[in-house]
Amino acid sequence: MEHVPPAIYTLLSCWTRFHKIGKAPYVIWDEAHFGKFGSHYLKREFYFDVHPPLGKMLVGLAGLLSGYDGSFEFKSGEQYPETVPYVAMRVLMAMFGVVMVPLGWYTAVELGMSQWACHLVAIMVLCGKSPSQSPVYVAWLCISRFILLDSMLLAFTFSTVFGLSKFHNQQYQSFSFDWWLWLAFTGVSIGCVASVKWIGLFVMALVGLYTIEDLWEKFGDVKMSVQDQLRHWGARVLCLIVLPALVYMASFKIHFLVLNHSGPGDSQMSSLFQANLVGNDFAKNPLDIAYGSKLTLKNMGWGGGLLHSHVQTYPVGSNQQQVTCYHYKDENNDWIIMPRWDEPDYDPNGELRFLKDGDVIRLQHASTTRNLHSHSIPAPVTKLNNEVSCYGNATIGDYHDYWEVEVVDDIKRGRKEKFVTIHSLTTRLRFRHQDSGCYLRAANAILPQWGFKQVEVSCDKENNPKDIHTYWNVESHWNDRLPPGDAKFYRSPFFRDFIHLNVAMWTSNNALIPDPDKEDILASKPTDWPWLRLGLRMCGWGDQQTKYYLLGTPVIWWGGTTSLIVFLVTLGVYLLRQQRKYVDMEPREWDHFLYVGKIAFIGWFLHYFPFMIMGRVTYVHHYLPTLYFSVLLFAHLLDHFIFSSRRFTDRTKWIAFGVVAFLIVGNFWWFRGLAFGIDGPIHEHWGLQWRKTWNIYNQL
Amino acid sequence: MASQQLLRERGRKGKGVALSEADTTLVEEEDDHTVSGASRRQSSLERKLNSDKASAAIVGVLTALAFITRFYKINNPDQVVFDEVHFGKFAAHYIQREYYFDVHPPFAKLLFGLAGWFVGFDGHFQFENIGDSYTDAHVPYVGMRALPAILGSLTVPVVYAIMKESGYSTVVSAFSAILILLDNAHVAQSRLILLDATLIFFMSLTIYSYIRFRKYRFIEFSQEWWGWLIATGVFMACTWASKVNGILTVVCIGIAVLADLWDLLDYRKSSMERFWNHFLARAVGLILVPLVVYLTFFWIHFAVLTNSGPGDTFMSPAFQETLRGNELLLNSQEIRYYDTVTIKHKNTKVFLHSHWERYPLKYEDGRISSQGQQVTGYGHPDSNNNWQIIPTKALPETGRARVVRHDDVIQLLHVNTQSYLLTHDVASPLMPTNQEFTTWPKDDHSRYNDTLFQLHLVDAHDGEAWKSKSGHFRLVHVPTKVSMWTYQNQLPDWAFKQQEVNGNKNAAEKTATWYVDEIVDSEADPSLPDRTGEVAVKEPKKLNFFKKFGELQILMLQHNAGLTASHPYASSPINWPFLLSGISFWTNADEQKQIYLIGNLIGWWTCVTAIAVFIGIIGADLLARRRNIEPIPDPVRNRLWNNTGFFVLVWAVHYFPFFLMSRQLFIHHYLPSHLASALVAGSVLHYILSDDTINYPISVRSATMKPKRPLYADLGMRGPVTVIAFAFALFCLYVYMAPLTYGTPGLDGHQVNARRLLSTWTLHFAAKPTDGA
Repeated sequence: MEHVPPAIYTLLSCWTRFHKIGKAPYVIWDEAHFGKFGSHYLKREFYFDVHPPLGKMLVGLAGLLSGYDGSFEFKSGEQYPETVPYVAMRVLMAMFGVVMVPLGWYTAVELGMSQWACHLVAIMVLCGKSPSQSPVYVAWLCISRFILLDSMLLAFTFSTVFGLSKFHNQQYQSFSFDWWLWLAFTGVSIGCVASVKWIGLFVMALVGLYTIEDLWEKFGDVKMSVQDQLRHWGARVLCLIVLPALVYMASFKIHFLVLNHSGPGDSQMSSLFQANLVGNDFAKNPLDIAYGSKLTLKNMGWGGGLLHSHVQTYPVGSNQQQVTCYHYKDENNDWIIMPRWDEPDYDPNGELRFLKDGDVIRLQHASTTRNLHSHSIPAPVTKLNNEVSCYGNATIGDYHDYWEVEVVDDIKRGRKEKFVTIHSLTTRLRFRHQDSGCYLRAANAILPQWGFKQVEVSCDKENNPKDIHTYWNVESHWNDRLPPGDAKFYRSPFFRDFIHLNVAMWTSNNALIPDPDKEDILASKPTDWPWLRLGLRMCGWGDQQTKYYLLGTPVIWWGGTTSLIVFLVTLGVYLLRQQRKYVDMEPREWDHFLYVGKIAFIGWFLHYFPFMIMGRVTYVHHYLPTLYFSVLLFAHLLDHFIFSSRRFTDRTKWIAFGVVAFLIVGNFWWFRGLAFGIDGPIHEHWGLQWRKTWNIYNQL
Repeated sequence: MASQQLLRERGRKGKGVALSEADTTLVEEEDDHTVSGASRRQSSLERKLNSDKASAAIVGVLTALAFITRFYKINNPDQVVFDEVHFGKFAAHYIQREYYFDVHPPFAKLLFGLAGWFVGFDGHFQFENIGDSYTDAHVPYVGMRALPAILGSLTVPVVYAIMKESGYSTVVSAFSAILILLDNAHVAQSRLILLDATLIFFMSLTIYSYIRFRKYRFIEFSQEWWGWLIATGVFMACTWASKVNGILTVVCIGIAVLADLWDLLDYRKSSMERFWNHFLARAVGLILVPLVVYLTFFWIHFAVLTNSGPGDTFMSPAFQETLRGNELLLNSQEIRYYDTVTIKHKNTKVFLHSHWERYPLKYEDGRISSQGQQVTGYGHPDSNNNWQIIPTKALPETGRARVVRHDDVIQLLHVNTQSYLLTHDVASPLMPTNQEFTTWPKDDHSRYNDTLFQLHLVDAHDGEAWKSKSGHFRLVHVPTKVSMWTYQNQLPDWAFKQQEVNGNKNAAEKTATWYVDEIVDSEADPSLPDRTGEVAVKEPKKLNFFKKFGELQILMLQHNAGLTASHPYASSPINWPFLLSGISFWTNADEQKQIYLIGNLIGWWTCVTAIAVFIGIIGADLLARRRNIEPIPDPVRNRLWNNTGFFVLVWAVHYFPFFLMSRQLFIHHYLPSHLASALVAGSVLHYILSDDTINYPISVRSATMKPKRPLYADLGMRGPVTVIAFAFALFCLYVYMAPLTYGTPGLDGHQVNARRLLSTWTLHFAAKPTDGA
């Protein structure tokens, strides 16, 4: 019998999630984004994105299961052709939304809430976030953004909290099978949530804090044997650190295994990785570098890009042409090896001259003919280093254009004493500015908007021979006078690729800071969220159109936020009263009140506060995991004050439950139009403007 | 001065009675511990050193040295250094009584003004640039620099006194004082016209007073108890009023007081009545008194600055009209329909401008324009800045109804080209998200609606008249609801590098504020007063002090948060405790002289190590106690938690909030924290050397309390030897780095390189690194 209510709620959530799921046969919302990534998995082409791969792999899997071949482009707003089984894919993705409801129910049960409170949690999860979670209701949309991943993120966040509460209830059966099972379950959930989005690390922090407190308690138990202490520690390290790390790495391993064809994300990776992708022609590059060769230079540091320059100039420092590191293929990445100014000009018909260690050369930017240049002006971001710019042209220049080639070694041929000529891809080089003795370096420092958020290139005055951010290799190499190469390359080790990709993701993520010059109507500030200050029009607002409006269910948002304040006040009052020796609860009740309160409140805080100090752009959907914790707290407080209170009769409790449930469901029904679409002129719909800041009605 | 007072205090009370557990009260019963190994007697050396005479002698020597180090060559350089540019100028404004605006509260700057006035500075020198000569301008700058130098010197005995009051022996107290005395950063910062010396001095006095206050906790509500409570409040207010970051001292004392009150709330300790008495006493002493003091400084600030000055434009029109000679006061006039006016953007000070040239059909990035007439922002007076205000409603021939009012819908006619201002849903040249502004010929009525703009006066009531100069407004386009806006970005050559004007979709954008600079031409209306010609001198209006204060306080906070521009010597807080970067204050290329703000490396690293050691000790103690092992005797542990813990709290509260600030940060923001870390270093040194002995009891006992058997700390020979050796090392490094601190003598490239102890320091005039290095 105890599983009947969750089963009913699950069916209900199937209905809300699947209802009219195929209504809009267009690419809507972020399907444009993630549908495309899913296609890449089916076509097995390497792509790059700032989020870890698990979520997108699941999209790809959904496509595979529904028989999609990956050929569709997923342009925003475009109609789906016959060949794309979009309904099946949407159903598979909506499963993550469905599963949240039973997870919410069972979590509430495990947290020791009364039946009434469990029902409320399930109802709130069911009604709470419908508009943004089920993208289908939201229909076609002018703008595409990342929301699809969030339903997976939410589902895994829910399952982590569920696992944690299950594990907590096993605490008196340490090392039993169930104990191990739920500890491992929590660990795997953490691994999954972090492999969907890095935001998942916040829930890991919650589990971490819980574990630290738990172990601190155990540490104080002097009766426990040292062996048991160590086993407890070891179990946590194994299940909550090693296991999640393995899951996280496994998702990347599969990512690399599946994506073994050359694709749009190639240039984010090291040259060697790219060379091993099917469809890559680096192996055909001429092997030996000579004067007059056109080439691209890849920085070998973690997340390094290609040496790049473009006509835009530095607005600071020398005001000369910018030099950056760029992660996409582009002809502005091409450089030509030229002799010094005091040497005879390069003669395309003269004798071939190969580049070797110690040569002093000029690097000419192919498309603008300017020369790579450095001088003692501080670089724009890394102020301790010198600026690197492009200066002069094919005939104008000075000795500041001279760079000495220093060979470090060759990945294939070993130490530099063993060879003379420099090979593309495998030889590791450093470029020393001859005049000032500094080294060409790029280390993931992001330029401001004027540099298009590309990576800064500077000249490091400290010679640090071990610094891989000063290491470069030749990536593409063109020279008509040389025969094409025919190289075989080592596969680059997984661990290298893994770190490299993570650093690249981190760097791109950091570049997602708000651009003050650009207005992003989707972005909102964290302070707008708890009180639901803003809603969002998701399409045109004409009288004839079906209108969709992104808005949470106000009663749930406000109720959750109010409960946060109420909880703090209650906690304060209880503590004050304890200090004055009033006894309100038995120790067991007090412990329970604190335990659930801590999980919910700290969970909320950890998922909310970091956004306040993060520099990057934030969107309202970032609040959804946070909302879950405030829902738990809301139910917990109702439970504490009403449902579990000895002061009230069952009748009173039934009435209270009825009122709250009615408010939530009624509120959801009242605003259903926003999610299901409003037809006809907006002014004929009454009573939707609950806050002045919402722009549901047209104001004149 | 302060130090002598302390000594007298101590002298009166006699030996062994003084000194405190600063933070939380110990339960009185717990005081009676017997400690194995704790000494109840002192060695003769220790006794001699801790005698009042020896203590007085040492504090005298330290103070004298402090004055010597701070005043040595204080006249060098005779040029404006670093932020003297600002603070010297503000002092000049006080003397001239011209209104200025700054993000910091006025107390420290008032002191500079006072010092300047005292030494006869006339306020004419403007401190324009770093490197301007004082001697040429006959500025009595030495007198002004003497003020922070005196306060900075007095900080040293106050630090000594804090340690002494906290129950540490003379040598340990001297150790903390020496860390401040021989610190190049503290010295460099207090020899110049900068606010930090005042801030740090009053911050240390606040800590001192609070500790004194805590030591009277057993004779509560006595005269001394009240005295030190109020002293804490007053000094706290002075700290806060010196510099915005003084607020951290308030937070710090606040946390300590809350912990204290929480403890008093314990039912075993006090009745509710006693608790409320304590609560109210603290509310008076630490909230009410500081607030009054803080407001008083602002009152003086406003009372002194009665004339119009460079700060006028930051303030609201109502505020500006209280300043004598303010332009608004003199020239603000009502605007009527058909007036021809010039319109200026409030933030960037450009005129709304248009000319015959048109937008190019296609921009560089391939987007298409409307090819309409250009509307730009132009910085200079020009007849193309003239716009006529055209009504959109019927007007009577004459009378008050012809005045333009808040929320009126108007058209703006560009006089020279006879075309109306217009905006439409075409992307502006530089920002695809914003709307293009252009104009439309007067005779063509096809786009009448697009030429309608609503006038939103800022903070206006219904029907308020639009005035020139004072009437700040936003111009909101009626059909598309965008605000006319401009910002510091130049259009390309086709618009003569003038500033772009576009429509901002955020209609409430704060920086979209404009005002009418001048009424160029108007139709005579005999029924209304004449607005042209000479105006009579007007008396400044009055404005309620609290309104003025509120406005200024909010502006200060806003501007402080807005100081985000990058600065070559700005550094992030994580670098500070390790002294990874300094600030170049001043350079003189001819003689290769420079002033570089950098601390004493040995001292700073000692301090940060001490904090790490403290955390280690506390952590180990916690872990051990968890396993029912008690490695540290209770009295020592209480001292560690309550006293050293309080110092660490001061350090943390003055340090960690900077991580959350996005404004530009400098290493001198760490100096208050550094002072706290020097206190921590002293007490950690005591812990290490003392073999678990402490001076006890140190709080003042009430007459009814049972006397306790005193304990004494004993460091033996180790104490003096360690401290002297350390002081010597500190002194050597101090002297070695002194050329960078005092800006003299000049150093050649290799000498500079030799003083670059960490590779992250960016000294000037360094020799080029030799090849292959």
